[in-house]
Amino acid sequence: MNRPVALIPPAQVRRTGGISDKMAMFMFGLFLIMFALVCLFPFWLMVINSFSSTRSLAVNGYSIWPDEFTLESYRFLLQGKQMFISYGITIAVTAIGTAIGLVVTALFAYVLAHPKNRYGGFLSFMTYVPMVFGSGLVGFYLLVVQWLHLKDTLWALVLPYVMNPFFAFILVSFYRSLPYELNESANIDGAGEWTIFFKIIRPISTPVIATISLFYALQYWNDWWLSLLFIDNSDMYPLQLLLRQLMSQMQLTSLNHGNVLTLPPAEGVKLATVCLTIGPIILVYPMVQKYFVKGLTLGSIKG
Amino acid sequence: MRMFRDLVKNRGLYSMAIPGIVFLVVFSYIPLSGHLLAFKDFQISKGIWGSDWVGLDNFRFFFSNRDWIQVTVNTVYLNGLFIIFEMVFALLIALFLNEIRLKWFKRTIQSVVFLPYFISWVVVGYMAFILFNNTDGLINRVLGMSGLQAVNWYQTPWVWPIILTLTRIWKSAGYYSIILLAAITGFSSDYYESARLDGATRLQQMRYITMPLLKPQIIILVLLGVGRIFYGDFGMIYGIIGDNGILFPTTDVIDTYSYRALRQLGNFSMSSAIVFYQSIMGLIAVVSFNALVRKIDKDSRLF
Repeated sequence: MNRPVALIPPAQVRRTGGISDKMAMFMFGLFLIMFALVCLFPFWLMVINSFSSTRSLAVNGYSIWPDEFTLESYRFLLQGKQMFISYGITIAVTAIGTAIGLVVTALFAYVLAHPKNRYGGFLSFMTYVPMVFGSGLVGFYLLVVQWLHLKDTLWALVLPYVMNPFFAFILVSFYRSLPYELNESANIDGAGEWTIFFKIIRPISTPVIATISLFYALQYWNDWWLSLLFIDNSDMYPLQLLLRQLMSQMQLTSLNHGNVLTLPPAEGVKLATVCLTIGPIILVYPMVQKYFVKGLTLGSIKG
Repeated sequence: MRMFRDLVKNRGLYSMAIPGIVFLVVFSYIPLSGHLLAFKDFQISKGIWGSDWVGLDNFRFFFSNRDWIQVTVNTVYLNGLFIIFEMVFALLIALFLNEIRLKWFKRTIQSVVFLPYFISWVVVGYMAFILFNNTDGLINRVLGMSGLQAVNWYQTPWVWPIILTLTRIWKSAGYYSIILLAAITGFSSDYYESARLDGATRLQQMRYITMPLLKPQIIILVLLGVGRIFYGDFGMIYGIIGDNGILFPTTDVIDTYSYRALRQLGNFSMSSAIVFYQSIMGLIAVVSFNALVRKIDKDSRLF
């Protein structure tokens, strides 16, 4: 194609801007690098200090580059059984919660998006209302503890997050984008909706299903609100609550002006706990990051 | 009758929504009954329905001391700070990333600034502790090395709105920048081409094309935040501040306040009164926010 690019003399292009583009691009790049470094810095501190020796931590405190490196914190941590218990709880909650959440939300969203459904408006409204009008801490607490009797059980950490309106709406906007002819041809062959869903819809929605399961997994892995409310028994502590308990003890000693009580290897052990907690996320992050971006993009279409 | 026939005829389809509806009703609608407790003197033995009505006594108690003003102001003020600064940084990151032509550089920066979003607030709270704690925190050590007086951060309330805002930028600016960047990618390249033909520099294109086009997206994100301005981020505040009463004057929000009333004082009625007050304020905020959105951009309204 012929574009009249040559009509504009290059000199004129350069004159129109205040500072030159090149300079601006350099500043932008610099800003981004600085911000990225700030993002990484706390991670660096965590990881590097978790390998610091007890002595080094006691003498120098947290540092950017410890004097001595050792695995003693990790070794100490893996000797006890609390870490294994908490890991088991967190993995179980994440796996069970993601599986149930995915099935329930995908089915629900499929019905919401289905052209034959006459109550789509009503169901959407029903899903929106709780997002707008808070149901309240007390009713929620009583429900789980008094009526469902789930205190100190795995289910207290799983069930409340199963139905997530935001994830449901992402799925709805995906299902709406599918051609309805898919269903109709299967309908003619006499297939029921359940069959259509599992035989036809599920296989073609693998990418969005992957995205939603990652959202669910992250939600369950990182949650500590439910365990804070409903778990008192340390045999049921998920990782995040274990960390939280370690931390609140630390803040207490900090308030008492000293680290007499936080005797090593306590410090290193806490750091190692953090690293083991965020470890799996950091490990899978490079592989799954693009799915999150896709999900966010899908979600932002609907607002 | 028609409804009944429709339900029978499409029972396969509707039955798929049942699990979702059950979870929605149980975990979002049944807890609404907790709001009743705001008007009752709750005794566990008598239950929600059996407890005695006390009219507005709980509210009278809640409004009798000045705590409610403090937590309301803190909630709104902190959320306001978060919304503004998150958006400013997200916008800068998105705009700058959009100008970067080096693919690998762009991808790397995007991954890194998105990473903090994946970390739980407990871990973030721990990172804050490593930086700010009195005795061996990194910042105080740096201050000490440069001959400055160490600051007792965890006993200095006025700095925490700043620290919390910085934390929030660190954690979510990358997340919002991805939403904005997704919107930018969707802009028609025609605008940019004709601007180039007219001799606009990249900076001018950014200023006069990208930013105006991005305005609706930004307004929606900001207003979504405004709609939830009475809901404090419990996970964040409690994860970083915990039960450190010295910092309450600047950091205690409605959510942490009602949580303490419930879990530490065991005062269900008082906690419900607070939550009820919050839900009403939240409802007012959402309704007025929706009216505002309707004025600005009709298609983006919630209802």
